[in-house]
Amino acid sequence: MDQMEENEIELETVVLDDTADEILPPSTEKIATTNIEEANKVEKIVRFPVTRIKHLVKMDPDVNLCSQEALFLITKTTEFFVECLSKEAYSYTSQSKKKTVQKRDVEQAIDAVDALAFLEGVLDS
Amino acid sequence: MAERPEDLNLPNSIVARIIKESLPEGVNVSKEARTAIAKAASVFVLYCTSCSNNLAMKANRKIISGQDVLGAMTDMEFERFVEPLQASLEVYKKAQKERKEAIAKRKQEKSDKKPEDIEEGSDEGGENENDDEEVDDCS
Repeated sequence: MDQMEENEIELETVVLDDTADEILPPSTEKIATTNIEEANKVEKIVRFPVTRIKHLVKMDPDVNLCSQEALFLITKTTEFFVECLSKEAYSYTSQSKKKTVQKRDVEQAIDAVDALAFLEGVLDS
Repeated sequence: MAERPEDLNLPNSIVARIIKESLPEGVNVSKEARTAIAKAASVFVLYCTSCSNNLAMKANRKIISGQDVLGAMTDMEFERFVEPLQASLEVYKKAQKERKEAIAKRKQEKSDKKPEDIEEGSDEGGENENDDEEVDDCS
């Protein structure tokens, strides 16, 4: 897979890789084209299924409409978020000289980083 | 905020792959940690949606736009995402444009065919008349 690294954020370029088929199911959006191949071409720019993200977005009772562009950005930024959280967690893993990231490391990252404060309490199940 | 989206977790396989690719080789991630990150990602979507929606409402708009999402990143203290997001957005817009052109081209080709080859009143369908942003009804 062809990837560019920018600081800590990896930017995924539009390259068809062999996991392309797994990336997204055919789009069911109203806006989607009649041609599913073309819809998939667009959605290969993101990895997460846009429809799943859309369901999450719909769960907010205050939300009326969401542009396709906004949905794309939310999907993309969630991917960045996963990368970011993983790296933060790993910083604690490597501090303890371990090679396996544990849930505890994720929790530490949440406690330490201000931007992750919204996650406080989320992992307690 | 809305209820916990236990049933709306993002696909574990995709989360796992993103995690793996963001870490150095040879690093493992426990199943619990992966689940935790996936759960956090779902919550992040809700939080991001809420912040974006607040920006839209402040501007008296009912539709969350791409700009609202970018603005929300700053509110959420994720400014570092703004630039990469903008770059991704350019790629996306370009792909959307190509898609529309392909549809238009196909339409053109169809209309060039003889009328009896085409069903009466048939339409490619799905062609949205919105200008820049296409809207998804979230209600």
